[in-house]
Amino acid sequence: MADTTPSDDEGLSAPHVLEYAYKRSLGPVLGRFFTGLRDGKIEGIRTRAGRVLVPPSEYDPESGESTDEDFVEVGPSGTVKTWAWVREPRKTHPLDHPFAFALIELDGADTALMHVVDTGSEAAMSTGMRVSPRWAAEPVGCIQDIAAFIPEDSA
Amino acid sequence: MAEHAAVIGIGQTDFDAKRLDVSQVGLIREAAERALADAELDWKDIDAVVVGKAPDMFEGVMMPELFLAEALGGVGKPMLRVHTAGSVGGSTAIVAANLVQSGVHERVLTVAYEKQSESNAMWALSIKMPFTPTMVAGAGGFFAPLIRGYMERSGAPEDTGIRVALKDRLNALKNPVAHIKLPDVTFEMIQNSPMLWDPVRYLETCPSSDGACALVIGSEKHARAASNPPAWIHATNMKTEPTMFAGRDQVMPRAGLECSAELYKKAGISDPRKEIDCAEIYVPFSWFEPMWMENLHFAPQNQGWKMTYEGATALDGDLPVNMSGGVLSTNAIGASGMVRFAEAAMQVRGQAGEHQIEGAKKALGHAYGGGSQYFSMWIVADQPLQ
Repeated sequence: MADTTPSDDEGLSAPHVLEYAYKRSLGPVLGRFFTGLRDGKIEGIRTRAGRVLVPPSEYDPESGESTDEDFVEVGPSGTVKTWAWVREPRKTHPLDHPFAFALIELDGADTALMHVVDTGSEAAMSTGMRVSPRWAAEPVGCIQDIAAFIPEDSA
Repeated sequence: MAEHAAVIGIGQTDFDAKRLDVSQVGLIREAAERALADAELDWKDIDAVVVGKAPDMFEGVMMPELFLAEALGGVGKPMLRVHTAGSVGGSTAIVAANLVQSGVHERVLTVAYEKQSESNAMWALSIKMPFTPTMVAGAGGFFAPLIRGYMERSGAPEDTGIRVALKDRLNALKNPVAHIKLPDVTFEMIQNSPMLWDPVRYLETCPSSDGACALVIGSEKHARAASNPPAWIHATNMKTEPTMFAGRDQVMPRAGLECSAELYKKAGISDPRKEIDCAEIYVPFSWFEPMWMENLHFAPQNQGWKMTYEGATALDGDLPVNMSGGVLSTNAIGASGMVRFAEAAMQVRGQAGEHQIEGAKKALGHAYGGGSQYFSMWIVADQPLQ
């Protein structure tokens, strides 16, 4: 049993740490997306209405209709639609120096992907700027296989 | 009087211990798409969506109804989430039915699910709290003493539970989507299975399953227009009581006794054993069949075991119970209540295949949850209530 700590003003209290292990099954659509990242390829999916969703989903979010495994390779470059600058990254942030979180519409996609843009300075960030992926040295099949997006002309 | 409402579409996933082939979304859509196909409807035809599942801790997705809104075609529509522990599949169907009976909506999609392979629900129910000893009991540990209590007060023969388990496990062999199928199951196999929570043996216990169930509830207009036969909802009822209070009869909860008595009254049923053709009820541990036979007024107090013993609850008995193989064979917790309600509806639609009760016209679906404290039930029939 956990230690209990008497306190003059608040009575007894004790720590209660609740830890619990989970597992996620990705299914065929996101499973293919993350496998593609491992191979340096970004794939979206075309809905029956013709829009290309990135990341792909098993359904059209507007209608609820299923998507039909109509995968489309997109990017790898894209356009920053909006962004937020992180001046003082915390330990759990993806980069250890200032960077932007951004919504990036990859070429050929109709939706924007949330990712990280590494420009070195806020002054180098702008809505509408062109970016390209900087791939991780050892891809494993997760979103961090794209280490960051960087300005297209420096890629 | 409320508007008539009917089940016009039913869909269940294939149930298994680990549906690693699908995401949570894929699992839920498998059931929903089957229900829409059965109703011959499209996502755009649905007015509102009602989702149910057991505690969020089971998959670790908080407020999954938000994450599922788009996946269930809920954009621009009312979307509700229901939670009443293990009975949630039943209460979710009832909320959906009430939305149609009230005249608010014409066609409502309702889905209930659990993907237990994403965690371990047994231990999510047995967390270690400071200042108290850890029971490490799980659900079976909670219910085993209640079963012992029933055995002692009723004087039921000790093998009653084994007989229930054998019946349900044989019924499961006739159900294409059931999870646990033991083609060679025998009385001795169940009797010799490990004692998990004395007096409950391993094969008298429900499994952990991945799966989902979906229903489309339609108004009278849509029920009459449907090409597949509707299951008309004659009555729904829910009751709740606390887990513990002084003098509580945990073996025979008052909430269940009153819930079923009211349900029958609403449905115009005066002799449930005679008037109901079959019942699909929530039996996660074998002995709950005789206990619920009494709680549901099918048998006098302390005599429910006789129904099991005499074969009354078998497929060829006078009140078949758990034709699908029941919770003992398939238990995706959040879905389990709705699967019971769906089986009742399948029976009166003549849709139950090899486990169909010939000529079933009126059926009971039942679910309970928590520490035998949440009850949800419905009566469905092949004709609307006069």
